[in-house]
Amino acid sequence: MDVLASLGLGFSVALQPYNLLACFAGVFVGTLIGVLPGIGPVTAMALLLPVTLSAPPEAGIIMMAGIYYGSMYGGSTTSILVNIPGEAASVVTCIDGHEMAKQGRAGPALGIAALGSFFAGTVAIVALMLVAPTLARWALKFGPAEYFSLMLLGLTLLSFLTHGSMAKAMLMAAVGIVLGLVGTDAITAEERLTFGRLELLDGIGIVPVVMGLFGVAEIMSNLERKLKRDVVQAQIGSLWPTREDWQRSIGPMTRGTLLGFFVGTLPGGGAVISSFASYALEKRLSKTPERFGKGAIEGVAGPEAANNAAAGGAFIPLLTLGIPPNVILALLLGAFIIHGLQPGPLLMVQKPDVFWGIVASMYIGNVMLLVLNMPLIGMWVQVLKVPYPLLFPLILMFCIVGVFSSNAAVFDVFVMVLFGAIGYLMRKFGYEPAPLVLAFVLGPLLENNLRKALILSRGDFWTFVERPISGVCLGLAVLMLIIPLLPSLAKKREVIALDKE
Amino acid sequence: METKTKGLANAELWGGITWLALGLFITWQGWTQGLGVLSEPGSGFAVFWCGVILIGLSLTIVVGAIANGGPSLGSLWADTRWQKVLLVMALLLVFGFFFEQIGFIPCSLLLLLVLMRFIDPVPWWQAITVSFGAVLGVWFLLAKFLKIQLPAGVLAPWLG
Repeated sequence: MDVLASLGLGFSVALQPYNLLACFAGVFVGTLIGVLPGIGPVTAMALLLPVTLSAPPEAGIIMMAGIYYGSMYGGSTTSILVNIPGEAASVVTCIDGHEMAKQGRAGPALGIAALGSFFAGTVAIVALMLVAPTLARWALKFGPAEYFSLMLLGLTLLSFLTHGSMAKAMLMAAVGIVLGLVGTDAITAEERLTFGRLELLDGIGIVPVVMGLFGVAEIMSNLERKLKRDVVQAQIGSLWPTREDWQRSIGPMTRGTLLGFFVGTLPGGGAVISSFASYALEKRLSKTPERFGKGAIEGVAGPEAANNAAAGGAFIPLLTLGIPPNVILALLLGAFIIHGLQPGPLLMVQKPDVFWGIVASMYIGNVMLLVLNMPLIGMWVQVLKVPYPLLFPLILMFCIVGVFSSNAAVFDVFVMVLFGAIGYLMRKFGYEPAPLVLAFVLGPLLENNLRKALILSRGDFWTFVERPISGVCLGLAVLMLIIPLLPSLAKKREVIALDKE
Repeated sequence: METKTKGLANAELWGGITWLALGLFITWQGWTQGLGVLSEPGSGFAVFWCGVILIGLSLTIVVGAIANGGPSLGSLWADTRWQKVLLVMALLLVFGFFFEQIGFIPCSLLLLLVLMRFIDPVPWWQAITVSFGAVLGVWFLLAKFLKIQLPAGVLAPWLG
């Protein structure tokens, strides 16, 4: 009953005209950037963060959240029609989705992707609503040692799941922590790594870093080679799946939702890995695995449900513990802080209107997304036909505008260009930017909790091991570090690691 | 199959050496900042230990590169249009230098037109229509509607 009353409060917030508009803007932009290859939700959120500053906090966060889960819907359109994933979580949808499109079944593929996403997204919000209050109450018992160990586990897990060398991923995380520590020390107020630059006293801004590493670097990588896009020219036809399609899809959708939600809640997990895991699971469970890769609708329904459920599940650690499980949510954490809100166990108590407003807006956003992705699919197909040579200059201009307007400082534009160059080189040399950005956001929190825990325990390192939750988290982190050293287990890690593309 | 080299052209080796140098620098910075004591860690405590971790991890990369080799530096840019990447970077830097003095509208128009005409050329009419439409649209949306600060530059007398 408590939850229903809170949800009522949430709907009273989410249904205010300004918040409805923010929700619509978020899911619309999310779908748009999901559809457009070459720009992901991270860039779009960083881009629009300054725009939300003039809005009330709940409207700003509702919009940012809408971009995230909206992009999960939009990504499938590009995967199915062009065979290029609109965003990373839709990579696996290319395999069977595009095959279906080539066989003249683009309509049912797009339809099941949208309906599966709606189903999974809605279930994930219900689960978020039920799990979050309990977890938040539990998290109130967390001290600095628990927070430190949990964040360390999150970073280790992300490094573990990142494609390629784990040493490189961990190195990126270490660099990210150092970058996050630039500025004034929160405990002693001493300047650190500022090299006398006044602009660095408040630290390096998250917007120029993210925009450089993801937006500019992505464009540079795309410019190296001509992008070839072949939009399926055939009629899309009816979007409504047939009875047989439904029979084949209902199981994968349900399993994808459960799997995606669980993986999404894990620190370091997320929409990308859940979609791959769902595809692998469906192929393994299928009586006709040979159909996979040749247009099996299960290969669309499962992963699309999984990535949307993961997007919902990912809000749990952020809203209840204040710990972002992935880069996109790290940016959302930045948005919370910029708006003067601190996500965590106290958010639900101190700002119930914001917390439940966000949850309720996700229900509304899911319905909006279904409308945007079913009847308006033709519009997104037209968007796909915008040539990249016209698109990339506009993205670059939006990046500059976004970075400049976040702080009204041209210094940030130079920081973005610098990180763009670093991000481009990192991709060339096989270093993934995701651990760096997550560590960059978590760095100050990690250090703060480490120092507080040491001060409270009078310098006793055993405090991290003796406290049960902290000890378990550290144990798991150590396990992740050991696995790559054992050849047989290292191979298994490579199988589940996030695909580079 | 990518060919591996163990010589000085090994990209993995140079990557590792770069991070090693950064790790040494960060460790030194942390040290000079002050480590404090365990019961009251100083400002440089976390910086120092991150530097040490960086040194350790970069050493594993360097050792791995020496033992197993890696792709050559040249192969990373073989058959790519790297000149275009350099040109775009240079354009962005020039844009940054003149952004505040000249203003958002003229600077962005120039940037868009140059990018659209000289990187992957599109027809003039498309470049002009899209550039003017996008720049003026963004200006009115952000500066006039959302009241977000964008430099007016040389157009300040007319834009108000």
